[in-house]
Amino acid sequence: MTTTEGKRATYKQRYSEGDDGLRFQELTYTGNFVGMEPVTDGIKGDKMMKARAKSGVLERVSREDVLRDQFTIDELNDLNNYLAWNIWDVLVMRATEGVSGMIPRQEYEILAFMHEFYRWPEILRMTTDEVGGGQGIMDIGATARREIGTKVNAVHDWCIGAVGFGMGRCGLLALEAIKPDDYIEESNEILKFMQRVLWGKRQDGYILNSQDRYRCRIHEPDFIAQLTPQLEALEAGSPKHSAFTQFNAAAELLSFLDHYDCRLGLGDTGPYELPDGQLLILRDLFVNEEVFHWSDVCEDAGLPHCYTLALVIDPEKMGLEEIRVNDISTTFTRPKNYIEAITAGAVFVREKWNTPMGEVYPVKIDDLAEHLGRVQTATLKLYTKTSKMCRRDLIWNGQYVYYVDMILPHLRLAGTYDKACRDYDLWEIDQRIANYYYDITKRGFAQETVPSKIFSGAGYLPFSDNADRRRSKYRWL
Amino acid sequence: MAEVLAEGYNVFDTSKSPSGTVKYLFSPADVISLIQSGKLAEHILLVRGGTTTFLAPALSMGAIGVITMSGAPESHLGILSREFQTPCVMTAYLTDSESRYVVGDTDEAHFEEIAKALDGRRVRLDCTDHEVGRVVADD
Repeated sequence: MTTTEGKRATYKQRYSEGDDGLRFQELTYTGNFVGMEPVTDGIKGDKMMKARAKSGVLERVSREDVLRDQFTIDELNDLNNYLAWNIWDVLVMRATEGVSGMIPRQEYEILAFMHEFYRWPEILRMTTDEVGGGQGIMDIGATARREIGTKVNAVHDWCIGAVGFGMGRCGLLALEAIKPDDYIEESNEILKFMQRVLWGKRQDGYILNSQDRYRCRIHEPDFIAQLTPQLEALEAGSPKHSAFTQFNAAAELLSFLDHYDCRLGLGDTGPYELPDGQLLILRDLFVNEEVFHWSDVCEDAGLPHCYTLALVIDPEKMGLEEIRVNDISTTFTRPKNYIEAITAGAVFVREKWNTPMGEVYPVKIDDLAEHLGRVQTATLKLYTKTSKMCRRDLIWNGQYVYYVDMILPHLRLAGTYDKACRDYDLWEIDQRIANYYYDITKRGFAQETVPSKIFSGAGYLPFSDNADRRRSKYRWL
Repeated sequence: MAEVLAEGYNVFDTSKSPSGTVKYLFSPADVISLIQSGKLAEHILLVRGGTTTFLAPALSMGAIGVITMSGAPESHLGILSREFQTPCVMTAYLTDSESRYVVGDTDEAHFEEIAKALDGRRVRLDCTDHEVGRVVADD
């Protein structure tokens, strides 16, 4: 290690009730709280947002609360405000990344946000009906407690509400296509679906990792115990350590590329404290999503749906001060570099999205070279293929990654994906969104207006206190 | 003390201090061409964006160091350079210039100035500080 030798791990202090956590950034958040003390990132920010809530929806909620079909207006506004802060918390620094040079991500993102807000509500309602109501959706969330290589994970579940509702509504408000009290019933439908999946997955009363000091410890202990015997010891600087970390990086890179440079290809859970005090992170890397036609190069390279890596980090070795598994399934630490503190690892393969857990198999680290070659081959082929696509194809492909993949795992488990395709035209582009394609590049809408509204929190306008919760949109004036 | 040409966010602190000739990559064709040349390991890569896809094959094939003109450690390229343990300085600005990157309000001249100053220079990356990464002259 370079600059952390001799420092003791202090990360457990972050879990004391009175601790406010570290600041990972200097920026602050205002959102709908103009004139009040600016909100920070991290644990302190979560506390501030909870303190400003008018309802109890941001505290631990009960099964009965979650099964109730309608939020109150206060609950909707509290969720709107909290998600807006949470989006800022996890994405404000990422949002500085500028142009891709490859994929017009800001353009595809805004189209997908709005498409989701318009189209998801009836599909999510149908799915809820098909599984017998709210409990069925909670049961879908609960499946993640005993699986690896599942896209029912933090980022997908978070996206339902944060992206489909939060950013979608924000984008449409910015475009002046809707007003704050339009589509309240539809907003409720999206947020209820999100709450039920997340509550079923966590089962501690919270729905988001940020509410629990950035912990996503969803797996059952006996399930973890089935994985840890496969861990192999790794010594920093050794060829084996290098083979493991290089594979982790290469597979993660391909998972990003296969998902058009977005976080849907990556899913971390943890940190789970092991008996010896070290920390386990379970990382799903989805390197071959079969519903994407461009993923044929991954199929040709013989890649599975998902590699799951078990990473063991020694908190003392890196003098760990804070670890966050945030709500888009990504791990960040202070100090930042945890790679050299990895002391053990294991790799598992799930061939298809529905491969039974009993058929998931481990790969020895000494055998990773062949898998690494496949990953690198697919990466180069996918890059070459993508570089030849025209702008329009890139935008609509990226739009599908968001709009389809964010709810795909839930529809698959509910058995409603085929119905959504057949009866609800899931893969069609709504005419309103098709028309917005031409608007989003005008006056910097996609690259400046929407990002500034989304990442500053200024665009998440509240619902009126006396708004009718049954309200859709009835007038186009 | 060697001249510090540029500074930016340090993605992760590391004692690795790669040196090489800066290669400004503008298009995917530039990336593919560099990989096919077999000279990837001779260069510190300079790119505009902080996204991952643009540099994907270069990272996968062993890029030794990266400088970006936008983005942060939380950006996808920041995350991936940490995972690859490839030293990376993000949102770099020239130390002898007043021009700074501002999201949504940065003109072409800012990027061109950096590319012109660094492209072809032999540099070394100093990523030992927790927060600040430095591009140091290594001529």
